[in-house]
Amino acid sequence: MIRKREGPAPAAREAVVPTLSCLFLPLLFMSAALQPGQGFGQEAPDGGFREARERLVREHIVDPPFGSEYAVRDQEVLRAMRTVPRHRFVPEELVRAAYEDHPLPIGHGQTISQPFIVASMTELLGVGAEDRVLEIGTGSGYQAAVLAEIVDRVFTIEIVEPLATSARARLAELGYENVDVRHGDGYFGWEAEAPFDGIIVTAAASHVPPPLVEQLRPGARMVIPVGPPFQVQTLMLIEKQADGRVVQRNLMPVRFVPFTRAE
Amino acid sequence: MRRFPVSRLHAAILLIGALGISYEITLMRVLAIAQWHHFAYMIISVAMLGFAASGTVIALLRRRIEGRERPLLAAGALALSASLTTCFVLSQLVPFETFRLTSEPAQLRHLLILYLILAVPFFLVSWCVALGFLIEPRRIGRLYFFNMLGSGLGAAAVVALLFWVRPATIPLVLTTPAALAFSLAAGGLGRRWQLGLVIPAALMLAAGLTTRGQQIRGSEYKGLSHALRLPDSRVVARSQSPLSELTAVASTAIRETPGQLSGYPMRELGELPEQVGLYFDGGSVSAVSRFDGALEPFAFLDYVTGALPYRLIDRPETLVVGAGGGIEVLSALYHGARHVTAIEVDPGVHALVREELREHSGRLYEREDVTLVLAEGRGYLEGRPDGSLDLIQFALLDSFSAASAGVHALAESYLYTTEAIQLYLRKLSPEGVLSITRWLKTPPRDAIKLFATMVEAAERAGIAEPGLHLAFVRSWNTGTIVLSRAPLSEGQVVAVRDFASERGLDVSYVPGIRRTDTNRYTVLDEPIYYEAATALLSDRREQFYRDYAFHVRPASDDRPHFFRFFRWRSAGRFIEGTRHGWVSFIEWGYVALVATVAQAAVMGFLLVLLPLIVFARGSGSGLGAAAVYFGALGLAYMFLEIAFIQRFMLFLAYPVYAVAVVLTAFLVFSGLGAYAADRRLAAAGGGEGREPLRLVRVAVSLIAAFGLTYLVVIPAVFRAAASWPDPGRVALSVLLLSPLAFFMGIPFPAGLQLVSDRRSRLVPWAWGLNGAASVLGAALATLLAVHLGFRAVVVLAFACYAVAAVSLGSIREWTEA
Repeated sequence: MIRKREGPAPAAREAVVPTLSCLFLPLLFMSAALQPGQGFGQEAPDGGFREARERLVREHIVDPPFGSEYAVRDQEVLRAMRTVPRHRFVPEELVRAAYEDHPLPIGHGQTISQPFIVASMTELLGVGAEDRVLEIGTGSGYQAAVLAEIVDRVFTIEIVEPLATSARARLAELGYENVDVRHGDGYFGWEAEAPFDGIIVTAAASHVPPPLVEQLRPGARMVIPVGPPFQVQTLMLIEKQADGRVVQRNLMPVRFVPFTRAE
Repeated sequence: MRRFPVSRLHAAILLIGALGISYEITLMRVLAIAQWHHFAYMIISVAMLGFAASGTVIALLRRRIEGRERPLLAAGALALSASLTTCFVLSQLVPFETFRLTSEPAQLRHLLILYLILAVPFFLVSWCVALGFLIEPRRIGRLYFFNMLGSGLGAAAVVALLFWVRPATIPLVLTTPAALAFSLAAGGLGRRWQLGLVIPAALMLAAGLTTRGQQIRGSEYKGLSHALRLPDSRVVARSQSPLSELTAVASTAIRETPGQLSGYPMRELGELPEQVGLYFDGGSVSAVSRFDGALEPFAFLDYVTGALPYRLIDRPETLVVGAGGGIEVLSALYHGARHVTAIEVDPGVHALVREELREHSGRLYEREDVTLVLAEGRGYLEGRPDGSLDLIQFALLDSFSAASAGVHALAESYLYTTEAIQLYLRKLSPEGVLSITRWLKTPPRDAIKLFATMVEAAERAGIAEPGLHLAFVRSWNTGTIVLSRAPLSEGQVVAVRDFASERGLDVSYVPGIRRTDTNRYTVLDEPIYYEAATALLSDRREQFYRDYAFHVRPASDDRPHFFRFFRWRSAGRFIEGTRHGWVSFIEWGYVALVATVAQAAVMGFLLVLLPLIVFARGSGSGLGAAAVYFGALGLAYMFLEIAFIQRFMLFLAYPVYAVAVVLTAFLVFSGLGAYAADRRLAAAGGGEGREPLRLVRVAVSLIAAFGLTYLVVIPAVFRAAASWPDPGRVALSVLLLSPLAFFMGIPFPAGLQLVSDRRSRLVPWAWGLNGAASVLGAALATLLAVHLGFRAVVVLAFACYAVAAVSLGSIREWTEA
């Protein structure tokens, strides 16, 4: 389990969070325990969580409430989503919400993405068992773990040192030996291991770093979620074609037709 | 004239009035730095309802308070001096986070706690003033004058203070005048009271001192928080002004560009120059690049959409609006501009590039071919000779993330109205071009609205076929629209197409475009920008405005809310998206404004009207008339103040001084109106007889006369005086506003005097009601302006005044009954 770390906040604030948590979390857990099927507390280590995970995949990823055309169909991706224990990647006080289809705060101004978005992005990358994938922005390490279930090797770079350290430890603890976590600036990619069969960049900047486009193997894809914190408005898909030409697609995770009537 | 009677009480009330407004402005700055501006506005508005609560509390406890008004006022001032720092520190402990509001119910609780904490100082300010009315029940207007005078002076003082003192320190600074107000209020009390109050005063002051060095807890999701987490980041300079707090951060990982660099060959042309990021209020960023006079390292600036105009015009005499750290200035120089005038409104930027970052920026703003002007873009251009510019270039004015969150929806911007675009066209040489770049949002809206604005402005400027003058190029995250004064030549059309294909950009519009030319490099599901542009240039324009999910009709000077895209018709779809978590098409600024109006209305009812209904049953229908009178006045005053100050801001062109001077003048002249009313009423034997009624009727007629005249005359006056120097325009503004403000100051104290003379226990209640109505009025004025325009807000204000004037008659009959 990770402890929630605070950024450059004053010391006094750190005292308040535990205090408030002390007050409210017991209540939350009590109410959770009373709901049948939630299965928290004394059960077998992953028992209740596995069920919650199954339901998340079934109800939000295989058959999303906003329309079946957005369903994730790739069986490998679905298997990975059913396997990776997301509750191990969220702060202790949010474990209860780990299998809801929402992004969650992980401290340092970063978030763990919404499961549906993680599944969609992974599917969009179109990678398989032989592939090597680069991720910029490890965060909690959840996306890397999902990829590690599917591909050969995952290289992931995180610029915030405490996040890199905890993600490395967590991934090792969970037995993901095919993930390399590096602390550093992802702008220049991971030259020594290039080219990659897929790249995921988890934070949109003012421009896509040109070195990353270079490190993409012809025929491979890069996916970038775009939007303010806790929201994804667009998925940027960058395809490097066999001839080296780059085409970008602006995909909305869900279709929003801006015209109210057909013309 | 008789001697001006300044008593201790008056001095204390003056100080307390000053504290109230200073604290409000300070909190607004603090919350804007900690979170986002629109939520700052909401939180302050709701907290100010503390004003209303204390009026009600005093009215309800009237019997127990009777005879103890002075010590209780002193105690209130004492508590105020303690609460300024205490409440500020407590508010910084609340882990409220705007971005998590939709997903975490706990955030609502944090918000509520924040409201309660911040309401305390406003409660105490109002407590003191309301007790003051009870101490001097026969001279309501005079006391009100001191309160208004204090507010006016406080506004000016705190704006001046914000040039020197960080907002987080100001609550501590304000403790001193608060303690002074306390000692003035306690001065006339007996020793027992004094001792009982002085000891806690000393303790509280000591407690306040421990808050020195208090920092503002900035949201961890803001740009500055991110920058400070970068491995080698360090703060290299700070600067501040009433406009913003600026933090300059150096890190090798800061690489801000004006949008996507499509196909920039970094291996051949090199990495981006080292940058220092300037963070405004911890949020949006403007980069200051290391510059040593060599322009080659800035080749990347030819790969962004904003480079488009340089393909259309050679060696332009260029104006950059929103120069900031100077990246657009460097782009102009890189592209061979003859001379660049760089306009920047934020004095903090000036200070930094002239001092701490002078060498880093290569003295960019001291070059012979660059002139830096501290002004607001539109105002500066009003005063510039016609036809004197070849290129007017708008820098990307805010950060990508702020744009996508829609945090500016509330902000008035006179830069992007149809009138503004017409002005820019006048300032251009016959071959000149206007170029505006915006961050693109998903689904598309900003750039579409901008295109619509340019089309309509061009038509009004007499351009027969705007379609021949426009070009629109986009990357995945920026769109640049160019409007040329002359029709684009064939060569220019080819240049646009070549630029786009060389750089991997999409042409969304150029004369002669076909559908197949568009949507090639950054592929959207539908070529929406192309479709929008062609619809806007055809006779289907009105239909397009009606059918589009967002509000993309051009903004005007009367409705200058360019950043508002929200439409109620699409609300269902917006909410649906937010509920699923992954997408937010909601303009947060607008939502926060509606939430403010709703909360102010509900809370105002609960705090002021409900207690009255419950506790004052059987008082007769006059009570209802009193509620209508003071409520309508609160609304009307704020409607007029906000509507006119908006217009004057545009004229003054420089918001910081404008707000301070105009607001101060407004409040002080209203205070003088109250004082004059008090003299009249005192001479006529108080609020008895018909004098208050007559006064109010005269005042309301004159308000309407001045207001209507201004609506008609002011645009012409402003045009004539646009090129006057700053002091001249400020003086003219004060001259024009003062009579209006003077008469607006009369109705409230005159009515309150009437109530005071007969039913004095209702005075605090009426005072609180007026406070609640003012809070509601301020938010409602903005909301109404968004939908109906400022002219309509002015007209509604007259209606409110008329209603008030009528209801005053009923109050009089009732008090005499």
